[in-house]
Amino acid sequence: MKKIAIGLVLASMTMVAGCTTTESSRNLNDPSVSGKDLAQQVCSTCHGVDGNSTNPTFPKLASQQSEYIISQLKVFRSHDRSDPAGSQYMWGIARHLTDAQITELATYFNQQKMIPDQVEHANADLVAKGKLIFNNGVPAQNTPACASCHGANGEGNSSFPRIAGQHADYIEKQLGVFKDTDGRPDGAVMKVITYDITPSEVRAVAAYLSVSS
Amino acid sequence: MKANWAGGVFLKQMGVRLANAGYAFRRLQSGRFITYLITIMTGLISIDAHAVPAFARQTGQNCLACHAGGQFPELTPYGRMFKLTAYSIGERTVPLAMMAVMGSTNVKGPAATGPGHTATDGTLTFNTGSLFVAGKITDKSGVFAQLTYDNYGGDTGASGHVASDNADFRYADRLISNGSDLIYGFTLNNNPGVQDVWGSTPAWGYGVVPISTGTGVATNPIFHGALGSQVVGAGAYLYWNKMVYAEVSAYRTGDGVFSFLTQGNGGQTVIKGENPYLRLALTREWGAHNVMLGYSYFDVRQYPDPTLPATDHYRDNTIDLQYQYLLDPHTFTATLTRTNETVDYGAPGSLQDTVNAFRAKASYTYKAQYGTSLSYFNVSNSSNNAASLSGNMFASQTGTEGWTPEIYWMPVQNIRTGVQYTMFSKVDGVSTGAVDTYNGKASGANQVVFYIWGAY
Repeated sequence: MKKIAIGLVLASMTMVAGCTTTESSRNLNDPSVSGKDLAQQVCSTCHGVDGNSTNPTFPKLASQQSEYIISQLKVFRSHDRSDPAGSQYMWGIARHLTDAQITELATYFNQQKMIPDQVEHANADLVAKGKLIFNNGVPAQNTPACASCHGANGEGNSSFPRIAGQHADYIEKQLGVFKDTDGRPDGAVMKVITYDITPSEVRAVAAYLSVSS
Repeated sequence: MKANWAGGVFLKQMGVRLANAGYAFRRLQSGRFITYLITIMTGLISIDAHAVPAFARQTGQNCLACHAGGQFPELTPYGRMFKLTAYSIGERTVPLAMMAVMGSTNVKGPAATGPGHTATDGTLTFNTGSLFVAGKITDKSGVFAQLTYDNYGGDTGASGHVASDNADFRYADRLISNGSDLIYGFTLNNNPGVQDVWGSTPAWGYGVVPISTGTGVATNPIFHGALGSQVVGAGAYLYWNKMVYAEVSAYRTGDGVFSFLTQGNGGQTVIKGENPYLRLALTREWGAHNVMLGYSYFDVRQYPDPTLPATDHYRDNTIDLQYQYLLDPHTFTATLTRTNETVDYGAPGSLQDTVNAFRAKASYTYKAQYGTSLSYFNVSNSSNNAASLSGNMFASQTGTEGWTPEIYWMPVQNIRTGVQYTMFSKVDGVSTGAVDTYNGKASGANQVVFYIWGAY
């Protein structure tokens, strides 16, 4: 009787295992799996199903510019973006995505609603300093205003990513990547911009952006 | 015995090994040691850095995506989801991987006075090698199974043999939308707790290599490894909104069609019928932090003598806690586990006994390369049947306590080398005076372990 019971469990597991559908597939090498399904079944694990990641290791993708997501997934796929975190996490995820899946992924996350940090948790002085830099840059260092490319509210524009609402820690880290490595060649323009910016200025901009929407 | 990264820590058996590991590290000549080290490290580092074990090949990701700071066995939230979704993220590849561990151990006290102290003589010794079958099977099912060659047979020194190690077959589906996230799945495994994803169950919690520290010969709850690769269990689980995990499993003797899961592990432990394992965990993530508070219950009836009808009845209640901080370059993981066991014996006239085990471990890794950990253990039991009974029943009052600091280095993601030192403050109930086994004091059981771990 007991053997029969265990046999039934095994048999049912095998049967269920056979009943696979692409709607909830986690197969990253199947062109028939839609970008939306991959976003929900795989990407959501780090980036959140609504694109608002919890851990600042991973960027928020909600409301991100579609063009920007497409370009990043393609440079992950081609290994042209090689900053350590990008290669460690994203090369494998992107390696067999089709252009159609990449477009669908970008559309999915673009349509999600960005949820910035709550203002009351932020350091008001830091945020104020960051806002000043965001809007005016640092003229003494010839650092241009972030708003000039990323939009008055940091919402981004086409290939310029949305940065409003992003995790402060993530922004800090990526500015470091732009400044100190050549791991993101498509962002070479940022290397020049971040060259003279100080760590405290970086923290201020990041703090401001994390609470802006 | 087993490799911990993939295998459970079979503490009772490991304890015997550790008690036996009394050899003269101090006699190890430094020149010889350095030569060994350089030779081995050179060989291991020559492995292609992109050549990583099976799961990493399947996802194309670095080990640190799933393992906190790249160190095993601690899983990241992503690694937990990878396991809960039946190892099915990624693409199907050749599901094979290998692992090897070399190590050297020294016990402070005089080896000759310890029980069975023959050990391996202070040389750096090939300890275990494992073959993994690990990977995606279908879109929603996968396997993690391990076959381990143990090159060291304890009392008799090197006497290699192959045995089945931990195994976990899974099916899982994920129903997810912006409003809800529900994973449901099934597991078939051979070690109670090995299916858990938080690393605070005894199967995964403590020690990272087969020669790692343990509690010596102290009596541990049965949940702490005694049934590893001896039983087979099937279970169903749910994980809802990354908040609530619930599992119901049942374990039975791993014989008949399931004997492949228990091969090579000595005499078959026989348990009566299906024995329940229940698990509940509450989890929360915020920012770089995540925490789990859990409870598990394991109820098992074991035949101390399979030719007789009487069974010993073990009921293990375990509470556990895990906290983790993950933000490059820092990784911190801490776990607490406390098990209380009640034992009712089948032998007529015997009294009830209890066993308590408390374990804690904290680890910190910097840049996924340099790390340190500190473990604490405290195991004790009653001895209501000490005077007249033996076998599974407790011969004496015990209380074993100690600390294990460790440092480790991972030059590339599939190599790790480290040193552990275990300091016993109490062995078999006493700290000083009557511990003749260890030269009159508990610290005589102290030991140092050096290991090199590699996987491909």
